[in-house]
Formats: sequence, C-alpha cells, structure tokens
Amino acid sequence: MASALISARDRQTLVEVVCTAFPHSSFPRGPYERAADVVLDQAGQDPRFLAQLIQGLGELDAQRDVPFTELDTDTAAAVLRGADGTPFLTAVVDSAVVTLYSDPEVWELLGYEGPSYDKGGYVDRGFNDLDWLPEPRITHDEEASA
Amino acid sequence: MTRFDYDDGDVVVVVGSGAGGGTVANELCQRGFKTVVLEAGPHLTGEDYVQDEWEAFGQMAWTDPRTTSGSWQVATDFPELPAWIVKAVGGTTTHWAGACPRFKAHELAARSTYGDIDGANLLDWPIALSELEPYYDKAEIKMGVTHRHGRPPLPANNNYKVFANGAEKVGYRYYSTGPYATNAEPYDGRPATVQDGFNFQGDKHGSKWSTLVAELPKAERTGNLDLRPDSHAAQILHDATGRATGVLYVDRNGTLRRQRAAVVCVAGNSIETPRLLLLSGSAQHPDGLANSSGQVGRNYMRHTTGTVWGQFDRPVHMYRGETMAGVIADESRLDTDRGFVGGYYMETIALGPAFLAKFVAPGKWGSQLTELLDGYRNTAGMWIVGEDMPQADNRITLNSDVTDAHQLPVADVHFDDHANDVAMRRHGQRQGAAVYQAVGSRRTIETPPYPSTHNLGTCRMSQRPRDGVVDRFGRAHDVPNLFISDGSVFTTGAAANPTLTIVALATRQAEYIATELTKTL
Ligand SMILES: Cc1cc2nc3c(=O)[nH]c(=O)nc-3n(C[C@H](O)[C@H](O)[C@H](O)COP(=O)(O)OP(=O)(O)OC[C@H]3O[C@@H](n4cnc5c(N)ncnc54)[C@H](O)[C@@H]3O)c2cc1C
Repeated sequence: MASALISARDRQTLVEVVCTAFPHSSFPRGPYERAADVVLDQAGQDPRFLAQLIQGLGELDAQRDVPFTELDTDTAAAVLRGADGTPFLTAVVDSAVVTLYSDPEVWELLGYEGPSYDKGGYVDRGFNDLDWLPEPRITHDEEASA
Repeated sequence: MTRFDYDDGDVVVVVGSGAGGGTVANELCQRGFKTVVLEAGPHLTGEDYVQDEWEAFGQMAWTDPRTTSGSWQVATDFPELPAWIVKAVGGTTTHWAGACPRFKAHELAARSTYGDIDGANLLDWPIALSELEPYYDKAEIKMGVTHRHGRPPLPANNNYKVFANGAEKVGYRYYSTGPYATNAEPYDGRPATVQDGFNFQGDKHGSKWSTLVAELPKAERTGNLDLRPDSHAAQILHDATGRATGVLYVDRNGTLRRQRAAVVCVAGNSIETPRLLLLSGSAQHPDGLANSSGQVGRNYMRHTTGTVWGQFDRPVHMYRGETMAGVIADESRLDTDRGFVGGYYMETIALGPAFLAKFVAPGKWGSQLTELLDGYRNTAGMWIVGEDMPQADNRITLNSDVTDAHQLPVADVHFDDHANDVAMRRHGQRQGAAVYQAVGSRRTIETPPYPSTHNLGTCRMSQRPRDGVVDRFGRAHDVPNLFISDGSVFTTGAAANPTLTIVALATRQAEYIATELTKTL
C-alpha cells in the first residue's frame, strides 16, 4: 500500500526517475509506472525507505529551476547521475531493475518469450532455429571412446 | 511415509538433501539402513515451480541472512548474498544446470603439479583419479549424463550454435553439447527435455537429474527413508568418548527436536556445513566440532568465474532451450604457460532479461545498461568456470552480531581473489570474447562473478589430520562416526563443475559407511 505522504506529483516524479534510470526508446509508460508503483508499495511497508524516498524525490525537484519531470532527457540523466550511490536512488534502482525486466510487456518488447512449459517448451518452437551460421557438430572424437 | 523414533539411535542422520546428502541417503537406504534426512527448506515439486526468474528465486533460494567480507567483488555487489544456493528438498540440484565434467588426474594432485604458489594453501587430495573412476562411472549412470555410457548428446540449441561456430573459428577442438545430466531421450523413468528454458528454476518437466526427482523418490521406495523438510539442524551432539550421538534441529513448528543417531552425515553445502560444525562446539571441541586442525571453514573456494555476452546483428534467442548445453574444454588443459596455473571451461549460459539486467553490471543503471538489454534478442552467453586457489584466510566464520530466525549466529563468508584467479578470469574473458568476435559479434560484454554457485573446500580432505578436517572417505579425523558428504570435502577445486564429483564421492562414502556399520552393529 502506497503511503498518504506520497502525492500524485511525487509518483510522477518517481515514474520519471525510473524512466531516466532505464531509458528504452521502445518502452511505453506502462511498465515504468508499474515499476514505480512497486517501489511505492515497498516504501509503504518500510518507514526508513519511505523517508528516504520523500527526501530524495524532493531533492531531485530542487536541482534545477523546473521540477524533475519537466527536464529534458539529458538534463534529467545528469541530475540523476548526481544522486548515484545515495541510499534513495540505490533502493529505487534495486527495486525497479527487478520489476521492470520481469514485466511481460517489456519481455515482448525485448524479444523474450518467457514461460513456455504450458506451450510444450521450445522444442517445437524454435529452440534451434538459428540459421545464419552453419550447423555445428555436437560431439568431439575423444568423447566417443570415453 | 516412514517415520523413525526420535530416540532410535540406530538411524543415520543426514543433514541436507542436495547433491551430497540426497545421494548418500539413497545409497544407504538401498543398502537397508534406516536414514533420517533433515532438510531446512520446504518440499517443493514440479508443480510448485514457476517459470519466472525472480519469483522462482524467491521461492527456492537460501535467503536466510549471511554476511560477506574481503576484497571480492561479490561483497560489494551482493553483500548479503554471497552464494546462490537453494533451501528446499533437493538442495541446489533443483537449480543446477547439469554440467558434468570429471576431474583430471593432475587436479587431484594440485600441490605436486603446481608447486608452491605464493599465498595458496594447496594440498594434494588423499585419493587418486584411478580410485574415483569407478564411482564416476556409477555417478554418470545414475545421473544419465549425456555423451557417456551410451546416453545421446543434447541437440544444438541457438546459443550453442553461436558458441560452437566461434569455437571452431578460433581453433578450439574440444567443443560439444555436453556432458550434461539432462535427458536428451527418456531415461530412468524421467522424460526427455522439452527445451522449456527454465532449468535453473527447478525444471518442471523433471528431465534434469536432481536428488528431488531421482535419489529421494528411490530412497523413499525402500521404506528406509524418513525425509523431514522444514527441519533446520542447529547442533550436532556428542558423548564423552567423542562419538556423535545425534542432531538437535528446529522443526517446522519452531520446536527444538533431538534425533539420536548411529552416524551423522553433514551435507549442507560448503557454507552451512562448517557453520553447523562451528555451532557444535563443546568443552571437548572448543573451536567447533571436528576442528582440532583449525581447518573447519578455511580454504573456501568458489571457482574462478565470469560471464561473456556477445551481441550480433541477427537473432539468437538464447533463452530457448536448455539453460546450459555447450562446453568448450580446450582451456581446461594442464598448461602453466598462460600466466596462471589450473584450467577452465567455457559453458553456454542463458539468462532472461530480469536476471541479465541485475547481473550484467550489478547496481548500474543508465543508457549503457539499457542499450545492452535492447540487444537481448541478439545476445549469446557463456560462463567461465575454472580452478581457484584455496587460501587459508578465505573462510567461513560465525558472525555473532547477526543471527537467523532461530537465533543462531550466521555465516560470514570472507574471500579475497588470489592473483592467479584474477589472471585466469582475464584470460577467460578475453578468450570468450574472441569466440564471439570470430563469428561477427558487434560487441562483447563481460560480467563480474555472480554470487557463488559452486561452494567448496571448507572441510577439506587430507591424508594427515593436521592438514584438513576429513579423511579419504569424508570421515572426520576427530569424530569417528561423523561424515561430511558434500563439496566441503574438496581438497582443491579443479576446473570441473563440482556436482558429478560430489555425487561420486557420496556414493563411495555410502559404500564405506555401510561396510563400517555392518561391522559395528
Ligand atoms: C544456478 C546454478 C547452476 C549450477 N550449475 C551447475 C552445473 O551445471 N554443474 C555442476 O556441477 N554444478 C552446478 N551447480 C552447483 C551445484 O548445484 C552444487 O555443486 C551442488 O548442488 C552442491 O551440493 P551440496 O550437497 O553440497 O549442497 P546443496 O545441493 O546446496 O544442498 C544442501 C542442502 O542442505 C540444506 N541445509 C543447509 N544447512 C542445513 C541445516 N542446518 N539443516 C538442514 N538442512 C540444511 C540446504 O537447505 C540444501 O537443501 C549450480 C548451482 C547453481 C546455483
């Protein structure tokens, strides 16, 4: 459960932090929002993390004349660099890296098909369909005698 | 389901149900010995497993607290997770990939072969390859290892095609899809792989050998196995004559139980095994049970490892099929002219985006990371695994400042890379990159070591009691009815992935215990 101390604007800032930390031109906003919401859920159960989050988001907003969400991509990245290694950013990144890349929408965008058991595995679905290299041998001589 | 009495002093108690514990238990059950297996983790089976990297990790991995120290990068990247091992019935054989190379003869005589290496605490094993060979045969047959004893090889998957073509181009000769303990065709009542790609996540299909699907069910059928999941061994008890008398453990309800025993076999993997011995100190054994040598917990090895990823212009889809199914053995040769002693293997590996993002550059973020992931579809991967040097101060100790859920002090894992390890890793990563460049990779990426998957050496085997903890059969030098049955007994680590050797040694040990017990009972 997200805390009442986090405003809608804080959430937008956090989504922007996740976008800036993990920039993919092919990703829509949904996966970033879901990753940010997991961060908020975790912070909701961890007062120390929540305190760091409130403080950290506030500080990011104060770095330039305009709020973090209004910075252009390069400036946002530079501002975030400045927070690298802080407990706040480390905790956000550690959480988001897990959620973002466990998101089925992201998997599809990256070309990962994920769970396969219910579909009979990949045995008939391309586990050996690479055709831009010759078929290699799969044994070597010494083995035959072993 | 069989149950033996807590006060039945005739049973053999085995701590841990992984490669070592599950094997020694089954071998004893087959010979008619009453066996109680205490397993700290839950009894998960194929249906429970999930094909999602993090969810499966949360379900299976040992995440009880541990601490780290030393200069190894894992202490920085994963300070609370020094090792990647399983806490569940079947132990880490439910996670493992199945690569099964044997030791080479000279690797059992590392001190004699490599000489006196500065800072290394090398010692020859008290056994030679010729003594192990019959047990390697037994273990390979038991596990259905491909390429051996008539078992067919696994087919080439996409990741292997890149790897093998690169190997050929750089002039390597010894590349193949095995040996792996995963069925290419049905064997021993287990099906052929469906190449579902979630081998690290328990292998729902059961085509991979694990003690969960092979040894323990067989042991169960004898009626001699009393398997107790959710049972955490807290202390080994002994009497005034110095013999082990039983094991205290915390059961699933949090109650401390005492199981009496004729023999105790410890196989908790190389961090928990020495921890349990150190926790079992007494007036008679002030530095921990079976530790008159001071070697319990020392000489901790984890293999020299690293990962190389190659990214190409065209798709690879490395995640389709067996997680690991390719080996290049050329660099495992004895050749001390490469700037290091010992050898290494290159083995294919595939991770999903979730693990790749976490492990490729731990803690890093930004466009460098995301560009790598954007190339996921076209990525091939290999893991490097080689012999590391045992060092006396690389060790497991009790960290009394941190306790687990049972108030037991946790293990601290201290590790410093040896210069030899660093040189080998650099060589391996260079060679790995060359393999991918030979088939046109646009870029190669080197990943630092993961939390240790191979944990070895902390109760090492030695001829003389003062050099190690156990004898040539894994029997504690100090306690005649206490055996260590896991990779802790490795005197040195060799280049080979360890599990085949753990299973061979456990099989040999069970035979020995059976002979000895028959004499005394
Ligand atoms: C991802 C991955 C891939 C791998 N791939 C390979 C491979 O390809 N080839 C290879 O050879 N090896 C591989 N390994 C390594 C292999 O899994 C281990 O070498 C092997 O399982 C070790 O066997 P073990 O008996 O020492 O311990 P484990 O198999 O880890 O079993 C130890 C068991 O003891 C239990 N335990 C610990 N302490 C206690 C206690 N106090 N009380 C009760 N129970 C306790 C644990 O919960 C665990 O179940 C891999 C490992 C991982 C993580």
